[in-house]
Amino acid sequence: MILRALVLRPILREPLRTTLTILGIAVGVAVVVAIALSNQSALRAFSESVDAVAGRANYQIVSDVAFSEDVLRALQPFWPRGVRFAPVIDAEGIVEPSLQPIRLLGVDLLSDLHFRDYRYASVVTSGKESAATYLSLFGNDSVVVPATFAHDHGLHLGSPLILNIHGVRRTMIVRGLLEARGPATAFNGAIVIADIAVVQAAFGLEGKLTRIDLIVNDESLIPSIQRIVPPSARLERPSRRNERVEKMLRAFRVNLFALAGVALLVGMFLVYNTVLISILRRGKDVGVLKTLGTSATQVFAAFLIEGLVFGAVGSVAGIALGRGLAWVILRLIGRTINALYINSTPEAIELTPGIVAAGIAVGTILSLLSAIQPSIEAAQLRPSLLLSGTVWRRQPRRQDQTQASSPHRTQILVAIVCFVIAVLLSRLPAWNGIAVAGYVAVLFVVAGFSALAALIVTGASRLLRAPYRAAFGIVGELASASIPASLRRTSIASAALSLAIGMMVAVALMVGSFRETVRVWVDQTVSSDLWLRPAKGLSNADSALFPNAISADLARIPFIAAFDRARGRGVLYDDDRVLLASGDFAVAARFGDLPMIAPSKQSEALLNAIARNGVVVSESFSLKYNKGVGDDIALTTIHGRRSFPITGVYRDYSNDRGVVAMDRSLFIRSFDDDAISTVVIYLKPGIDRDTARRSLEATLGPKYHAFAVTNGEIRGEVMKIFDQTFLITYALLAVAIVVAVLGVINTLAALILERKRELALLRVLGMTVAQVRRMLVLESSVLGLTSTAAGLAMGYVLSWILIYVINKQSFGWTIAFHTPVRLIVTSLAVTFVASLVAGLVPSRLARRIDLAMAMKAE
Amino acid sequence: MRIRLEHVTHAYAGSDESAAVQVLGDISLDIASGDFAVLMGASGSGKSTLLNLIGAVDKPTAGRIFLDDNETSVLDDSRLTMLRRRSIGYIFQFFNLIPTLNVFENVAFPLSLANTPRSDVKSRVAEALASVGLGNRATHFPNELSGGEMQRAAIARAVVHNPPLILADEPTGNLDSRNGEMILDLIRSIHKSRRATIVMATHSERAAAYGDYVIGVSDGRVGGVGSGGWEKEPARDHYSAPSPESVAENASTPTPHPPLPTPRKQ
Repeated sequence: MILRALVLRPILREPLRTTLTILGIAVGVAVVVAIALSNQSALRAFSESVDAVAGRANYQIVSDVAFSEDVLRALQPFWPRGVRFAPVIDAEGIVEPSLQPIRLLGVDLLSDLHFRDYRYASVVTSGKESAATYLSLFGNDSVVVPATFAHDHGLHLGSPLILNIHGVRRTMIVRGLLEARGPATAFNGAIVIADIAVVQAAFGLEGKLTRIDLIVNDESLIPSIQRIVPPSARLERPSRRNERVEKMLRAFRVNLFALAGVALLVGMFLVYNTVLISILRRGKDVGVLKTLGTSATQVFAAFLIEGLVFGAVGSVAGIALGRGLAWVILRLIGRTINALYINSTPEAIELTPGIVAAGIAVGTILSLLSAIQPSIEAAQLRPSLLLSGTVWRRQPRRQDQTQASSPHRTQILVAIVCFVIAVLLSRLPAWNGIAVAGYVAVLFVVAGFSALAALIVTGASRLLRAPYRAAFGIVGELASASIPASLRRTSIASAALSLAIGMMVAVALMVGSFRETVRVWVDQTVSSDLWLRPAKGLSNADSALFPNAISADLARIPFIAAFDRARGRGVLYDDDRVLLASGDFAVAARFGDLPMIAPSKQSEALLNAIARNGVVVSESFSLKYNKGVGDDIALTTIHGRRSFPITGVYRDYSNDRGVVAMDRSLFIRSFDDDAISTVVIYLKPGIDRDTARRSLEATLGPKYHAFAVTNGEIRGEVMKIFDQTFLITYALLAVAIVVAVLGVINTLAALILERKRELALLRVLGMTVAQVRRMLVLESSVLGLTSTAAGLAMGYVLSWILIYVINKQSFGWTIAFHTPVRLIVTSLAVTFVASLVAGLVPSRLARRIDLAMAMKAE
Repeated sequence: MRIRLEHVTHAYAGSDESAAVQVLGDISLDIASGDFAVLMGASGSGKSTLLNLIGAVDKPTAGRIFLDDNETSVLDDSRLTMLRRRSIGYIFQFFNLIPTLNVFENVAFPLSLANTPRSDVKSRVAEALASVGLGNRATHFPNELSGGEMQRAAIARAVVHNPPLILADEPTGNLDSRNGEMILDLIRSIHKSRRATIVMATHSERAAAYGDYVIGVSDGRVGGVGSGGWEKEPARDHYSAPSPESVAENASTPTPHPPLPTPRKQ
């Protein structure tokens, strides 16, 4: 009965307020669910590929570089003890001429059935179905592709397929098609399987393996197997790869969830506001019920249940909404993950019970939490006060100035404490590579500003009173006066809007600073005239390679002053995957312009590296592993673990995992890999860039499938990837703003319903409907201006934490502060207009006010 | 301002026609310009609704209402707003001051709506406040005033723009007897000094005695018209409701057109 009187009936009777609140929570939950879903999908695509390729293996001998197949002989004695092993060459490459990235899996087609589940859809046969049928698969140019891949690329049995693996181009023949199961499903079917002997012979990998898959049922054998693992390789479970990828993506994911958290936090404000408004509006009913004997606990429970109802319904709606949002987000983050982290084609989105439960839990628990404080307040009030309606009267200004000065003092004190804690937290180091303290510091800053919300609203409204009066007459004056008068409702809406605007400003400042920093960095580093690439674009840089033979051809071209051959590959350092880059340091020292941190001269760092067989590392590497000039780092080479002195630290924004760069000759000696991913070309003075470009493409194009790109195009490409990366950021913030605007609409609508009598009075005294509406829109403009001002201030503080604490700890980047004026002004204008629109919606209610109401007794 | 009602009926809409509640039935009245008329009746008799109809706050279901020669029952919303703004002053039982404005601003409100020049506003508000004895309370907010002071501020607001018609709905209903009398004296003196038409609704005979004449309202009909009690001693039971008998009597003898009011004697 109590529930029906205080909660359920009012919820049904006020559909606008109910809908807005549920929508607010739903949007918050949807964002979190969508990010969880899309992350899961992106990662699952990768881990499923790893699993499909690993098959039934429970251990693997893996290496970052190819190792000798001699180890197979050493494994033979383990066969009688139940250990099964399968040699594998697992290489990335591209299909020409489409340049599609592809995975080449070389396996022993005969023994591999222990490990992987193949089913041939069709194979080239000799005409008679016999045991010899499959012999065609072992032909020295035979490959097997998934039937889906063949279909997508118009391939049939007997079709030629040009593969470029590590810069070696071979035309292979499709001799078998696989059903979509097992390894045929890995990498979204973009996989080519061939016999290992065929792969070794075709791509210059004779006697080499990249991996050995093992099935070891007796764990006690592991130490003995460990002893025969070559020095350049390691024995580990296949799941380690997934764990590493997850770890690699962790900071990125935490960042996304933190942003989604903003939308959720704004949603929490909305629930708090809604429950508070219900209590304020139903104060009299609470008084009556309490007079009739309802206990404080019952009142408390009733309002808590209101929060619960909003939370539960909002969460369920949010999950449905999130399912739809996920594929949008997936497209946005999929591109980023591909560009910066791993090659993985995300699969379909699957709503797992875990995510559903998490979504409902997040929405419901947060709603419940936000309802606690106002519910307690309702439970504690004395019925006499509630009945007389005096506690709900609006607070006039005089009272604010005098009696209310002590709550203001408390608010200021709370804010100061929050800010001090935030400053202290921002000085703490990262935990496990994640800027936990930084995120908590953000929360404290938000809490500090929220504590000040009431003060800011009052102050701003007072400041606006004179200009509003001058501009809009009595209507403007009333509008500016009425916002602080209903402080308890408006300050929360304002805090929510400030929070959303603050986060938006902070992220705009962070991204703007970051973008400017990267732009300056790209301008400086991409100083060469032309880049020669085996594929267009930067995203498949690891898969497309030139053979070293291109060096001789380049050396013969007369207009080239010098060229720097770059090659990168992932290696393990400290069990993390970092990027190992190589280049012609002597050329770079003379022609390049590497932004150095230490020492200040790049030639000193690079020439020293050549002389001492050392490396230069990126700033992110240096910060992440606390290594600097003079320190040594150990890497696993083909000769086993080797130590390399660090001779320089340079600024780099291409990779947050950290980059270790060494001279090309040292790289080839250490990793037996002379392929080239990019050739940086410096032209002789006076040579026209476009002529050189055409000439290069004409001479090297047909032979090496080479594209020449100018530095301008490279810069453009880098900035494009950058902007794509941060698209999701803006999308999530836009959602937070939408939620906050919903909050403002909700608050203003509630205020109007509550002030029906007052508005009716104004109408009786001679205000027109248009004037009342104008007043209401002006009120929301006061809220909008106040929140924008507070949000701007909060945004600068938060951006400082984002740039100097969170970003630095998560990604190891130093960013120079830069205000993207146009972006900020535009977004502030948009949010301000949105808040005005938020006032327009409920002001329509003004038309329906019953004038006779003002004349009635209370 | 002269007030004329011709066969006015008012009903509050229900879910269907049968559920409609008739509050006023076939009322005809004529109040001459400059009269101080009192609508008297028990609570729920329909006097406030009648006042709302006269004050252009509500529209009749049937019948015609004239303020001077303007038929208000046919005016659209914006014309009604202008009429209220320029020609009518309201005094409410619950004062209805705007809590966010101070006394001066509250009183200035009707002038601000009419875009009166600032200097003019200042002098007229000061004059209105002085006339209700609140000259020293101009900067106070409503919650810093006593009930009597709030009502005096409300009266100042009702008269500041010199409306030809002032409507008062139970102006003493929320005040103690001392403050109530003070307010009634004030309204009386305003009537004398400004010669505006005043219509006051009340259930109190004592209050009714301040008017020129009384129009009885019961069960949605107007009954006998008696002379005002200004020259007489107020009745003994000042604050009692009319007896059931008198209500019944009034109801059974409706007077469509009241006679012209008797001149006041002072």
